[in-house]
Amino acid sequence: MATLSLQHIDKIYDNKVQAVFDFNLDVKDGELIVLVGPSGCGKSTTLRMIAGLEDISAGHLFLDGKDITQTPAKDRDMAMVFQNYALYGHMTIYENMAFSLTLRKENPNVIHKKVLAAAEILGLTEQLNKKPAQLSGGQRQRVAMGRSIVRNPKVFLFDEPLSNLDAKLRGATRREILLLHKRLNATMLYVTHDQTEALTLADRIVCMSMGYVQQVGTPLELYDSPANLFVASFIGLPPMNFFDVTVGEGVLKNDVLSVPISVEEQHLLRAYAGKQIVLGVRPEDIVAGGEVMVNVFSNENLGMNTLVHGHIGSSKPEHKITCKLKGWCDYKTGDQVPVTFVRKHFFDKETTKAIRGEA
Amino acid sequence: MNKNEEQFIKRDRMRFTKNTLSSGLALLAILLNVFYFVSIYKSDVGSYYYNILIGASILYNLIFMLAVFLCSEGVKSYNSAYACVLLVVGVLQIVRIFILPMRAHGATVTINQQETVVMQTAQFLRVVLYLCASAACCLVAGVVGLQKSRALSAHMAELEQKAA
Repeated sequence: MATLSLQHIDKIYDNKVQAVFDFNLDVKDGELIVLVGPSGCGKSTTLRMIAGLEDISAGHLFLDGKDITQTPAKDRDMAMVFQNYALYGHMTIYENMAFSLTLRKENPNVIHKKVLAAAEILGLTEQLNKKPAQLSGGQRQRVAMGRSIVRNPKVFLFDEPLSNLDAKLRGATRREILLLHKRLNATMLYVTHDQTEALTLADRIVCMSMGYVQQVGTPLELYDSPANLFVASFIGLPPMNFFDVTVGEGVLKNDVLSVPISVEEQHLLRAYAGKQIVLGVRPEDIVAGGEVMVNVFSNENLGMNTLVHGHIGSSKPEHKITCKLKGWCDYKTGDQVPVTFVRKHFFDKETTKAIRGEA
Repeated sequence: MNKNEEQFIKRDRMRFTKNTLSSGLALLAILLNVFYFVSIYKSDVGSYYYNILIGASILYNLIFMLAVFLCSEGVKSYNSAYACVLLVVGVLQIVRIFILPMRAHGATVTINQQETVVMQTAQFLRVVLYLCASAACCLVAGVVGLQKSRALSAHMAELEQKAA
């Protein structure tokens, strides 16, 4: 397997549109990195640059310490799995999986062994004589993965491989990818816009927006300590609630909200005294009972939890709030529910960066 | 990989790969047969070819092409019955040499009070070559197909025995 290093990578298209800005990342051997972000943030472009399918406008790409920035895609020893599977419809599954090795003129007996081994790993042994059209979406995606496995590449690249699958199949295939990663201990880069995939699969997540890397860290780091407002809003489902508040003496206030803060939090926000900041509260960090009154708008029971949508004070968009309360609740529209914010995140209103201890 | 293992994998590969050799040879046999029938009929030999034998020959060519095409698809998936059909058709291609080309080679017709040879030796040798090559393709395709289908059947039985 392999290490990968991206240093100051830029992507500027011929029409002068810049898709990726100063991308830096060191991928360790056997690591599974997930690039996550909304559509158009440059994550697929980055993956395609790594694969060699797009030219790198500036910066350098190193594989095992060797500069491969100008190396053609076929010589990079990387395998890519696409969203649309890219299988040959007229070939059987066996032929599809063997195709790349056949092109390399490998010994047919060796190809056979590799294909059978990959099919065994992916549970495709019974499907080898079928055509792709006879398989389900999940099975086709497994064939696409199998085609990569037989090549035994240094790096696996996945470009939104689960996007074409229904929710149930997506979950099952996601677990298979995770098992595959553990079994092969391969270096993998995985692109998705689905934060659930990112959080469940990744050793480390690279969160991107507008071509810039917003934060690199473990799933827990991104969830617990988002670097800025974008990461805070993107990671977590339902998304984090945000309120513009002014830092007062022992309290965060706006026209409808007054939230007491602890001594530690006062210490953290001392540089912002009297200034406006953004208060972020995850729906799951809100518990029933307390100082903040929520006017219930709707109530969604999820079994273990209840999602309560409402607003604080007025029904303005900036006063909307979503709470994920424990247990089964039966609130009606117009009910007043007192809640407490057990955990808070603070963001600088101007820079949108998280206010951390060192601020 | 030792020799036994290599042999085993070679047989095992047949479970997932097609018999392209036999199939390709069968298609080549069709092509050679096409060369044969476009080479044999000449229009400057009067009404020599206007008889029932020629009608049957044309009809046989059509049937041959259809049958061998079906066989090429059949042997591709190691079906021994189609391989047997190819063997029969191969033998018939040889027999055909003695029906039309042989007769035409020895025959003459009178056109404008002149004796004309229906088939010159050069043309005769050409059509015989096409028929022989076509027959050889069919026979080799049949033999290979039969061998491979038997080998695959034995291999499948061996696998079933192992599984049991």
